Amino acid sequence: MVDVNQHNLVPEHTVLDDPERVEEVLEEYNVNKTNLPKIKKNDPALRETDAEPGDVVEIVRNSRTAERAVVYRLVVE
Amino acid sequence: MSMQTPKELGGLQFGLMDPETYRDMSATKVITADTYDDDGYPIDMGLMDPRLGVIDPGLECRTCGQHSGSCNGHFGHIELAAPVIHVGFTKLIRRLLRATCRECGRLALTEEEQAEFRDRLVRTRELGEDPNDVLKAAVRQARKASRCPYCGAPQHDIKHEKPTTYYEVQDVLSGDYSERIASAMQPDPDDEDDQGTSPQELAEETGIDLARVNEILAGEFRPRKDDRRAIEKALGIDLTEEDMNKLMPSDIRDWFEDIPDSDIETLGIDPERSRPEWMILTVLPVPPVTARPSITLDNGQRSEDDLTHKLVDIIRINQRFMENREAGAPQLIIEDLWELLQYHVTTFIDNEISGTPPARHRSGRPLKTLSQRLKGKEGRFRGSLSGKRVNFSARTVISPDPTLSLNEVGVPDRVAKEMTQTMNVTERNIEEARQYVRNGPESHPGANYVKRPDGRRLKVTEKNCEELAEKVEVGWEVNRHLVDGDIVIFNRQPSLHRMSIMAHEVVVMPYKTFRLNTTVCPPYNADFDGDEMNMHALQNEEARAEARVLMRVQEQILSPRFGENIIGAIQDHISGTYLLTHENPRFSETQALDLLRATSVDELPEPDGRDDGEPYWTGRTIFSLLLPDDLSLEFPSSTGDTVVIEDGQLIEGTIDEDAVGAFGGEIVDTITKVYSETRARIFINEIASLAMRAIMHFGFSLGIDDESIPDEAGEMVDEAIENAYERIEELIETYEAGELESLPGRTVDETLEMKIMQTLGKARDSAGEIAEDHFGDDNPAVIMARSGARGSMLNLTQMAGCVGQQAVRGERINRGYEDRTLSHYRKNDLSAEAHGFVENSYRGGLTPREFFFHAMGGREGLVDTAVRTSKSGYLQRRLINALSELETQYDGTVRDTSGTIVQFEFGEDGTSPVRVSSGDANDIDVDSIADRILEAEFGDEAEKQRFLGEREEPTNLSEHAEPRRVARGQGVQSDD
Repeated sequence: MVDVNQHNLVPEHTVLDDPERVEEVLEEYNVNKTNLPKIKKNDPALRETDAEPGDVVEIVRNSRTAERAVVYRLVVE
Repeated sequence: MSMQTPKELGGLQFGLMDPETYRDMSATKVITADTYDDDGYPIDMGLMDPRLGVIDPGLECRTCGQHSGSCNGHFGHIELAAPVIHVGFTKLIRRLLRATCRECGRLALTEEEQAEFRDRLVRTRELGEDPNDVLKAAVRQARKASRCPYCGAPQHDIKHEKPTTYYEVQDVLSGDYSERIASAMQPDPDDEDDQGTSPQELAEETGIDLARVNEILAGEFRPRKDDRRAIEKALGIDLTEEDMNKLMPSDIRDWFEDIPDSDIETLGIDPERSRPEWMILTVLPVPPVTARPSITLDNGQRSEDDLTHKLVDIIRINQRFMENREAGAPQLIIEDLWELLQYHVTTFIDNEISGTPPARHRSGRPLKTLSQRLKGKEGRFRGSLSGKRVNFSARTVISPDPTLSLNEVGVPDRVAKEMTQTMNVTERNIEEARQYVRNGPESHPGANYVKRPDGRRLKVTEKNCEELAEKVEVGWEVNRHLVDGDIVIFNRQPSLHRMSIMAHEVVVMPYKTFRLNTTVCPPYNADFDGDEMNMHALQNEEARAEARVLMRVQEQILSPRFGENIIGAIQDHISGTYLLTHENPRFSETQALDLLRATSVDELPEPDGRDDGEPYWTGRTIFSLLLPDDLSLEFPSSTGDTVVIEDGQLIEGTIDEDAVGAFGGEIVDTITKVYSETRARIFINEIASLAMRAIMHFGFSLGIDDESIPDEAGEMVDEAIENAYERIEELIETYEAGELESLPGRTVDETLEMKIMQTLGKARDSAGEIAEDHFGDDNPAVIMARSGARGSMLNLTQMAGCVGQQAVRGERINRGYEDRTLSHYRKNDLSAEAHGFVENSYRGGLTPREFFFHAMGGREGLVDTAVRTSKSGYLQRRLINALSELETQYDGTVRDTSGTIVQFEFGEDGTSPVRVSSGDANDIDVDSIADRILEAEFGDEAEKQRFLGEREEPTNLSEHAEPRRVARGQGVQSDD
């Protein structure tokens, strides 16, 4: 099966395993987990990872304006 | 007045209403279908009962004692003879019927399943998703159960016949059960071993009494359910058929009453606020008369509101229903009446239900009932709440006035006299205020009303103005006319971007049109062919201050769409600067001063040289006078040369669209970003004035002779076209010989078409080149095309050389008659002229056939624009609705109203397009920013201190009071 992560248009997805990191992110943006943007657990980009609902995924993508943009998403069912 | 204590809204809750609440809040029960009696008085307990509120002035409300205007009206109610379904909830009713047990009313999910769904509901609410999806999923799962997990009763499928009928699909004993049993007991003729079944065997196998079996076989006895199952099993047959059992609203109501609160909660419905049985109406609220006022026509007849008509119908049927039921009418008649009552209540709520004929007025017009009042563009939400008509607004035709600043707007005196600004009279302005009042409402800087401290408003009239002026004291309010320098909001529809609504300063003028500086046409997308615009006078200081600081035209020079200036020189301004700078002409002192007349420059620099002893100044020198002294820039112009500006001096290059034009003119853009909006406004104003003077100095006109080319050029064009024709002839010959090689991915036919199109395109281009060669550089059309003022070289080609191929849907013209475009051509003629190639020029004139093809192509363009505007309008509406509540927060994130993050950093880089200095490659020009900062840092100490002090230029100063020359930092020198 095709691994979409190999495609150059698919940004890098990493699950934040460390709960402290997640806490940091939530603190930085002063949000609840549920106010993060969502990503589905069965998203093709997460197939190789062991993301479970409730996890937070860090996505680093190339940006037209900022070169590198980091966003966080909450994994949902 | 005591009712109007300010209150804070804690929250809003939506839910169903308990019929008891309806009765409690009802002012009266309504039992009479009539409205007024013969004397014109409202009938008691009728639809216009005075307890429901008053609409006639002078009468007193029997419920609250207030008069019309202050009484909001009161609800009444109708006791329905039989329950009916509320059309707004048909889907939910269907879902609940399918999900709950018909016997015990419980949700057909086990406790574990219910707990699971309750958890899911909590999560869904947390994530801000739609709880309806959980309800749907729960219903889907509950529907699968064939038996109730609590009482074990078998569940039946529910069929919903739109809009308001529900059936239970049951399996019942078929009518021909005896025949079916008998035929199954016969021996199978194809199978010799099958001896058939005798009644005795059947009785043994099923355990039914033999006599009973015989009775069943004779059709005299209908087998019970258990016996039926036994027979079915023994004989391997099916004795049932589907039967539709209609569920009356009363049945559904009883059913829903049994559903326990806990099960309703599982579905995400709050049982405290919304019991499902309340979806079946037993009592109907009657809207207050203020919501359905009747109008008295000229002839004294009363005309009732649509809602009243509908209520009359409901009461009539309701009464007939009750009478019939009391008289013991047959079930059939009762059911008919019930259905009729349902119909009337349905259409009272919504008259656009599919599958139901809309209730109509006597004239045949469909009635506008409750949901029609709310829905759609003219409905309560979009028409009355989001969009309102406002006071203090004016609309008229716009026309140009190049003498105005771009911040200003010319307001007709008759508008200025109608619109007012509130003046709070203080010790310091009392004389001024009195003067306004003294002038009265008719002469211009006058006043229309005064307001005393006790709240009384007095109209200023020609008669009482003198007298009133003396009475004005500190603490009064005077509504004075608009005067020069007031700030107003100006708008042109469609308001597609924020620059469609900008604040302008008023300049009161004679005549009837709003006057604009032509440089503000691009942001409004306005022209003067009859466009109208709206003006709004601001009514409090906060609004005026905000408008001045945020909305004034000069604050909008940079467009957030592309981060460059949207206001700048247009059309003749660009031709003017082009003429002034392209060949760098020389001007005598008189000429130079004349060019600069309308600007703030009143002193010429050292002359550039002397001609026969007379000093002269070049166009570029004159242009440079408008530039900031320390501006240095270098960029390519659209004319094709490089513009070099050093220390505020234009060294070389042509000033054209790319330099000063709207939509990204380099100089305007830089001045706005590096200097200030105020400096940019002054620059644009002065450029426009200078350019107008320049173009008038040289004279600029365009006539038909400017598009003519010499005869030999015409011959060359003809030859080029003739060549193309020959090549096409060859192409067609190869095609017909079947030798044409098709291009990859295309058929031979398509290849031929493409090649012909290409050849003809080239032919037109070469015609254009020939024509271009014969136009002088001083040709006005060429000047306009090169400078970017208006028109293109293609336009010129079409005027002078050859109009070229006409296309419909991107292809040559292929429509019309069978196998040909017009009856003038042979069938299947592939030649250029038969498919819409126009070889003539606009100047030369088109042949009738060419003209026809040209009209076909032109029509497509018109249709496209019409379709595009409506499509993009709708797209824009949907986009705006989707994005309207997103907001950039102070922490840089973009969030919606629920706090959900949409972007972690606005635009990913957290910068506003209008605050970023962008170079050619759209890269941020870090070097020049750094240079500038360093320069400021290491300037002399005093300057550095000022830099650190962060002194911002005030942005809210009225241009009106400020002499234009102040900006140049030069003192005013008087002439004498």
